[in-house]
Amino acid sequence: MVMALPPELVSLDLDERSATLAIDASIYPLEALYGASYVLIDRAYVLLDRPTPDRYRATVVPKKPEEDTRAQLETLALELANELLSCAYRHRLQVENRALIESVTMRAMAGAMGPPSLDDLESFDFTSDAFEDPLGIALSWEEKYGKKPPPAGEGPPPAKGEE
Amino acid sequence: MREVRFHRELYRGESVDEAVKVLAPYAKFSLIEEPEHWLVQIESTTAARERKIALELWNHALGLTMRARG
Repeated sequence: MVMALPPELVSLDLDERSATLAIDASIYPLEALYGASYVLIDRAYVLLDRPTPDRYRATVVPKKPEEDTRAQLETLALELANELLSCAYRHRLQVENRALIESVTMRAMAGAMGPPSLDDLESFDFTSDAFEDPLGIALSWEEKYGKKPPPAGEGPPPAKGEE
Repeated sequence: MREVRFHRELYRGESVDEAVKVLAPYAKFSLIEEPEHWLVQIESTTAARERKIALELWNHALGLTMRARG
């Protein structure tokens, strides 16, 4: 009997030396199932199935049988359950951060491409605004706080000694 | 004879074919298309050998499917 997993989710076949997990497809995406299976594939044989649209089924058989088959199968089932959770969470983070990852990757790729060639510069449109700046953050100090030009009609103040 | 069913939503048919080709020297394989599964029948000299080949087929088909998905 599996101690840590509900019996309706885990079943052991001691004759076949296999553990079978029922996996809720609404909680664990397929990518998590593949990822968790991949982690175990060096130590166990893994078969995936989808008995119903809302459930996956993963059957694992250890590659190197140990004396205590039951304990080994329980451990393997628990490891698969943990990996499923880990992979599902990582998949969620990946989906949520996809835009950020793409942006960073694009910048890294652009930097790795090196400086633009003369042909690139020739075809580059320097007239378009790089981005909108409603708060004036991109203005230089002189543009923002520098001395304002005198109103029209007033000349520059007389220099010292000219008075 | 031993049978292995690979669900068509989880395994690529090409990957199952490729996995069968890898293990073809060790057993006689028959591939059958079912509505939801790719069915592979394995015939070899002993039941233990058929089981061992079936288990290797599980991992080969899964690995090749995952590799193809990227």
